[in-house]
Amino acid sequence: MVSENVEEYLECIWELTQGGTPARTTDVAKKLKVSPASVTEMMQRLDASGHITYEKYKGATLTETGMEIGSRIKRKHRLLERFLVDVLGIDNEKSHDEACRLEHMLSDESERRISQMMNNPTTCPDGDPIPALDQLCLRGPDDDSSVLSDLDEGSQGVITHLSCDDPQKIRRIIAMGFVPDRCLKVEEKLPLGGPILVKVGDCRVALAKEYADLVHVNTKRRCGKRQRHRGG
Amino acid sequence: MEIVLVGNPNVGKSVVFNSLTGVGAISSNYPGTTVEYLKAEVLMGGKKVTVVDLPGLYSLTAGTEDQMVAARMLHSSRPDCVLVVADATRLEPSLVLIFQLLELGYPVLVAMNLMAVARKRGELDIKALSSILGVPIVPTVAVTGEGMEELVKALVNCESRPSDFRVSYDSHIEAYLEVMKRGLGEISLKYAPRGASIKLLEGDENFTEGVPKELPQQVRRLREEFRKEHKEDLEVHINRDRYGEAGRIISEIVHPRPQPRTRGQKLSDLTMRPATGIPIMFGVLIGVLLTIILLGSWLEGMLLTLYGDLIGNFFIDLGNAIGGDIGPALASGLNLSIQAILAIVIPYILLFYLILALLEDSGYLPRVVVLLDSVMHKIGLHGQAIIPMLVGMGCNVPAILATRVIESRREKLILATIIIMAVPCSAQMAVIIGTVGKYGGLVYVAAILLILLGLVLLLGLLLHRALKFEPTSLMVEIPDLSVPRSRNVITKTWMRVKEFFLVAFPILLVGSIVLELLSAYGILQSLVDPLSFFTVGFLGLPAIIIIALIFGVLRKEMSFQLLIVLFGTADLASVMTVEQLFVFALIMATFMPCMSALAVMIREYGLKDSLKVTFASITLAFALGGTAHFILSSLL
Repeated sequence: MVSENVEEYLECIWELTQGGTPARTTDVAKKLKVSPASVTEMMQRLDASGHITYEKYKGATLTETGMEIGSRIKRKHRLLERFLVDVLGIDNEKSHDEACRLEHMLSDESERRISQMMNNPTTCPDGDPIPALDQLCLRGPDDDSSVLSDLDEGSQGVITHLSCDDPQKIRRIIAMGFVPDRCLKVEEKLPLGGPILVKVGDCRVALAKEYADLVHVNTKRRCGKRQRHRGG
Repeated sequence: MEIVLVGNPNVGKSVVFNSLTGVGAISSNYPGTTVEYLKAEVLMGGKKVTVVDLPGLYSLTAGTEDQMVAARMLHSSRPDCVLVVADATRLEPSLVLIFQLLELGYPVLVAMNLMAVARKRGELDIKALSSILGVPIVPTVAVTGEGMEELVKALVNCESRPSDFRVSYDSHIEAYLEVMKRGLGEISLKYAPRGASIKLLEGDENFTEGVPKELPQQVRRLREEFRKEHKEDLEVHINRDRYGEAGRIISEIVHPRPQPRTRGQKLSDLTMRPATGIPIMFGVLIGVLLTIILLGSWLEGMLLTLYGDLIGNFFIDLGNAIGGDIGPALASGLNLSIQAILAIVIPYILLFYLILALLEDSGYLPRVVVLLDSVMHKIGLHGQAIIPMLVGMGCNVPAILATRVIESRREKLILATIIIMAVPCSAQMAVIIGTVGKYGGLVYVAAILLILLGLVLLLGLLLHRALKFEPTSLMVEIPDLSVPRSRNVITKTWMRVKEFFLVAFPILLVGSIVLELLSAYGILQSLVDPLSFFTVGFLGLPAIIIIALIFGVLRKEMSFQLLIVLFGTADLASVMTVEQLFVFALIMATFMPCMSALAVMIREYGLKDSLKVTFASITLAFALGGTAHFILSSLL
């Protein structure tokens, strides 16, 4: 476990690095309302603990662990804001301050349930995106893959991996047979953001874009050829 | 002995259940027909056997609520035999389910269903599959009864002989399984250690009960480690291996023949492609409505004439024979009750259920789900909500139960409210068609249906805004089209309409005799007069209509049937104007849920929400009725 203070820093750096540039000490200081000197000191400590990479005049970027914590806290923050505003009817201003405090206490389990209860909102009340639960989401080893919802009608391919933000959803698509190495064919795409009709194995499934976004398919791999896995 | 029926949705479990037990479970050609489990006790080969039919499930570790319920029911039972109904035409998902059951050590027997279709598509080596899996397999065609005798024989001898079949997982996963098994140690579990270990690794909460506390933590660590190394989630990989195994087995035992595209498949494609599918959908919908309206009123006329010819003066004579005031009252109560059944239940309700059964068994309904998905999103629902709505056009009771296929409580509530308030059930349809439709014409029926459609959209939009959160998304299996079997269509229709004869007729009979007596003694008028400021003044209806409305709470069709009794004639045009009939039909179309619907709604949604909906619908019905009266009377 890291301290609340560290979480706060990582969250802030996460936000400042969203544009793709490192987070500068002065910006962090301004955002957290502390002196640049103490930011520099903290940055060096975070660099030492492997949460960020810090270069003196450029600023800080997050490492993989830092990213995980920073985005998770931001996720909790925005999810809580949404919860406070939508469910409890608290106004935006107050919800921000309160979410700032609650984000550090909220367990992952409660976070998951809040998200589920609200059907996994993707934006906070101000319209900023709620970071997806990326720790399950892994780029597959196969970089030739594209997302199922982007495929054209008639295209075929092999499922390479599932990118997932919610274990519940993943279970659902697994249960419908969307499992890596299986073959699928896009039969029909309904207009107006309607569902996609997919033949997976011998079954025909209609699934909404929300689910189709999670399935990654390689259309270059030939169907019917199964990759043998080690161990088997 | 207890047998539990398990299988993927829409593989014919209910048909197998019916032929094993003779109990009526309703089966249709779309996933999610059975939402409650069914239980029956039968004698099989001299043994008393309890057979349980579970709702369909794709996996024992499922993500949806209805499937979790089914999985939990399986956990809580200790069956002597799990009968897996497998689909010979879609083997992979069935095999994956069987793997999971075998891993957990359940004694499994497989009914390989839909063999007739599978045989046409190629060869399926049942014997080989049976020896690979180490379980007995009986090929069946449940709809024709083929293989059912063998199945019963096998069930009676279903010994718990655990199979030694195993899915070979990735070596890394196998190593984890060893760790888990060691961690479980000597604890006695309900399940085979290997199966319990796999479920632990999958993070299935149903299996973490009674397990040493440190194990779930260890699982978390292992999952993380696995993720780092394989760039894949452990649970995903476990399933990848299961489907891999299933695929290998299938390539050994199934030898498909190349299939020409059949006419059925071409038709199936046409029903789903929007350009052709949407016109087809409207065609079907209008066709259904016109059939019910035109064929229904023709049937009604014919039946009433036939009945009139048949009885002649029988009831008048009967009344006189009994004598006194009570004689004619009894006789005419009986007469009018029979007429009411002939005028409503047979022509409209029976006809509707026949058509619904045909649509359900053809597998057409899931196409509508797909086509209307994006429209349904506008009212806060997704396509699957269409099926409970269509079922609701038969009866609201099963429709409210069917809302269970929708996952979020918010959407369930929107859907149930719409069904209760704006979807006319077959009894309400009969009231609409039999009153204003018959005497005023199709225009009035169309007007009411359009008002109801508007209400569906309006309610949806309002509730969608009022109840926050994002809508969930559609994911549903689309079955192939198939030709409905007359036996299933007829039994299903009978099961659904029989209560109109068995339950409703006695109530109607008693009600009509009481009313006849009250009016014979002149009490009725004094009972209804105090409310006439409302019925006559606000709604412009005869004061006596209040009786029909009150009975309409008991059963919707009874409001219409009692009109016949109250006025003493089946020719309503002689006692009410078309405008009055319109107002009456409009009120009945949106009126509060009948007793049975209310009871089910309270059970599923609690008293508070049910009462809110009830109150809202009464208010809405009278507001609509009053407005219609106001508009019509100022127009004329």
